[in-house]
Amino acid sequence: MKNWRLTLLAAVIFAAGLGCTKKSTQHEHGLNPAETLRINLRQEPPSLDWSKSTDTTSALIEYNIMEGLTEYNLQDPELGLVPALASEWSSNKEASVWTFKIREGVKWTDGQVLTAQHFVDGWERLLKPATASEYAYFLYSVKGARDYNEGQLKDFSKVGVKAIDANTLEVTLKAPKSYFPYLLTHHSTYPIRIDVVKKHGDQWTEPQNMVSLGAYKLARWEHDNIIVMERNNAYYGDKAKTKYILGYMINEDSTALNLFEAGKIDVLDTLPSREMAQLSKRPEYRKVPTLGIFYFGFNTEKPPFNNKRVRKAISMAIDREQITQLLAGGQEPLSGWVPKGMFGHDADAGVKYDPSKAQKILDEAGFKDRSQFPKIQVSFNTNEDHARVVENLQAQLKKNLGITVEVINSEWKTYLKSVQTNPANIFRLGWVADYPDPDNFLSLMTSYSENNHTRWGDKEYDKLIEQATTITDKGQRRELYEKAQNILVEKDVPVVPIYSMVGQYFVSDRVKSYPINPMQKQLLKRVIVE
Amino acid sequence: MRDRLYFLLGPAFALTILFIVGLSFFAYEVPVALWAACGILGVAVFVYYTISQNNVTYVIKRSLESILTIWVIATLTFMLLRVLPGGPFDQEKALPPEVMANIEKKYQLDKPIYTQYWNYISGVAVADLGESYKYIGRNISDIVAETLPVSIQLGVYSLILAFILGIPAGLISAARHNTWVDSLTMGAAISGVALPSFLVAPVLILIFSFGLGWFEPALWEGPAYYVLPVIVLGTRPAAVIARLTRASVLEVIRADYIRTARAKGLSEKKILFKHVLKNSLIPVLTYSGPLAAGIITGTFIIEQIFAIPGMGKHLVNSVTNRDYPLILGTTLVFSLALVLANLVVDLLYSYFDPRIQLT
Repeated sequence: MKNWRLTLLAAVIFAAGLGCTKKSTQHEHGLNPAETLRINLRQEPPSLDWSKSTDTTSALIEYNIMEGLTEYNLQDPELGLVPALASEWSSNKEASVWTFKIREGVKWTDGQVLTAQHFVDGWERLLKPATASEYAYFLYSVKGARDYNEGQLKDFSKVGVKAIDANTLEVTLKAPKSYFPYLLTHHSTYPIRIDVVKKHGDQWTEPQNMVSLGAYKLARWEHDNIIVMERNNAYYGDKAKTKYILGYMINEDSTALNLFEAGKIDVLDTLPSREMAQLSKRPEYRKVPTLGIFYFGFNTEKPPFNNKRVRKAISMAIDREQITQLLAGGQEPLSGWVPKGMFGHDADAGVKYDPSKAQKILDEAGFKDRSQFPKIQVSFNTNEDHARVVENLQAQLKKNLGITVEVINSEWKTYLKSVQTNPANIFRLGWVADYPDPDNFLSLMTSYSENNHTRWGDKEYDKLIEQATTITDKGQRRELYEKAQNILVEKDVPVVPIYSMVGQYFVSDRVKSYPINPMQKQLLKRVIVE
Repeated sequence: MRDRLYFLLGPAFALTILFIVGLSFFAYEVPVALWAACGILGVAVFVYYTISQNNVTYVIKRSLESILTIWVIATLTFMLLRVLPGGPFDQEKALPPEVMANIEKKYQLDKPIYTQYWNYISGVAVADLGESYKYIGRNISDIVAETLPVSIQLGVYSLILAFILGIPAGLISAARHNTWVDSLTMGAAISGVALPSFLVAPVLILIFSFGLGWFEPALWEGPAYYVLPVIVLGTRPAAVIARLTRASVLEVIRADYIRTARAKGLSEKKILFKHVLKNSLIPVLTYSGPLAAGIITGTFIIEQIFAIPGMGKHLVNSVTNRDYPLILGTTLVFSLALVLANLVVDLLYSYFDPRIQLT
């Protein structure tokens, strides 16, 4: 009795199931692998709204679906600029008023023609206090921009950006700035279709709503899973070589490596650091020095590092090569402040490794008796690589100077808070270029910089940096930066640069002309897959 | 009549669930009608069961208590987050004060703490969990809606595996107490508990993906992708369940009523399955509540290793990012799952052991 009921039930449910259809289980999400470049984005892009996003994952997508007024010449070792949405530009003699000619015939994906007003709209939105964009400060050099962003100035027409006509954009700066066009490669300065943003609100970045103009367009965005970009056939320049880009969001480096080995991912732009010694010998391995540095800062208010001779002795007692060999990821030892591959880099700058001289300097600084040397702390944020570097530093200082340091680590946000409010004697930090100009690195250490946590400041240094930004002549600028660097890493030594960062890739042999450059800007339109 | 209805409803519900699980495992679209049927059956079973067991007041009382529990959790989490050093917008490149002020205004972080709390709690009351700080413009409920189903899928498969492996293993090992079968099963169970998943996973990937090529090493796109993570996630609870079942069966098997059953001349098989097993499942049931809640709301390590787009990563990364609304949202989802799972477990106690009275 009971059994026939159950059988009947099972039959009914199975009958209901007969109507079911099989989900598309095609691999690669239904995309033909021969037409698809498969990359790893590492995480869900926090936002594809180019006025609001701040991270490298979102930027990678934005750089492929959009363009700015200018673009880096990625073939040029010093990263000069080439025209992008601006066909040409010029400035007045003081480099304080800039005029950009907007390229003609550029169309958005909905068919509308690009005009100078779209830039004005984009900049107004970026600077509007209600947008709360983190990168609003990127345009603070524009006249009135900071006041507008602060809410002091209510009328945007008083801000120094104007569409003179449909094809001419004029920008007036607060003070001369020779490298201003470099800022315009950044996604925060891109034009925007304010009508689209108004219509869809925060949802305007979804594929069905988004309007863009780059070599690719956003085709699919399955949150927390995949992104697909498709060739934009209405793009003004040479069309993208590969039809689709499939981006996975795999956070774990070793998992991504597994999928690379299984032939499911074509390019990796981060590799598991513990395995670098083996991985760097593989034929798929590529590396490039990038515009980023790893450094230690001193808290120059607390003894013993309120004494610049002590700081210098420490810097001199560190063999940077030992550290880069330990990491085995191709990092370049760095004693100057401007990274390798950037205009203004000087291989001779900074204090060189010399343990016996370092001993002497420390003796002269009043610490002949090392037992009198206070117990110092080195802090860093919890990370496997950082731990290796800091432990090596600990060993080197013990060996070369006979001083004992205590190592403390904390979780990232907790660490940041401590560095900002009460830094340890020595703390670890890094800096990656926003734009390839030495100003981006050297202005970091001005006395008024929010990112200078050493509590060190020098009037002469500040003056040199300010002066250099107003000069267009490269030779003159280089001279000023050399002087500034000399104060920073040789004379006063509030910071100890350790190495220049490096970008490491695995590129499958079916991928040709993958863009690998110091800015790590992955512009994919020229990539060919076989 | 009541009993007949129950015999129809209970198995129908269980079968529907199993059928949905089967469909989803083999990557078939589950029809909306089936979901609806499952939902209606679920509610019917719950209502029928509650009424027939005279548990209506108990369920109402427990539901009210649950609301109180969730409120306490929401409040504590909210307060703890404000004590945690480092804010959501602290970063290596410090922001100018003007920019920081705009951001704080946008997210109302410039308001006094009690205003923030009031806004938050009144939002939760109407199921509005707010917007993420990190995923700009995305609602917490959208993030949960996109990631939780994947975690549930992984969790349910693993739970089923855990029960299918664990309960028979425990039973067999108790029935063959102190024989080599017992030692072997329990040896395996102890290894299952002791081996960490971050060790087991790479070994399985190495053998079954790169060695034999049977399954995929990562991602979540079909049956070949599901097998390894489900095994890794399911074996540990399977081992715990096996040990619990064994211990409890050994205890029940010595009870007087089992001796009576034997004396009546019932077959050993019938005794074991009909009389011993049902009465031995109480400890397993107790363990299953928190287990189910934890496993279906996302497991960080497994989801990381196998690149599964579930909610586990948000549970952990939201804290690293100090994404307050997302931390609160995921915590609430987890708490809700835990409270519900425990309620169901408590209700089931009296099914497995009618001597238990719920008050």
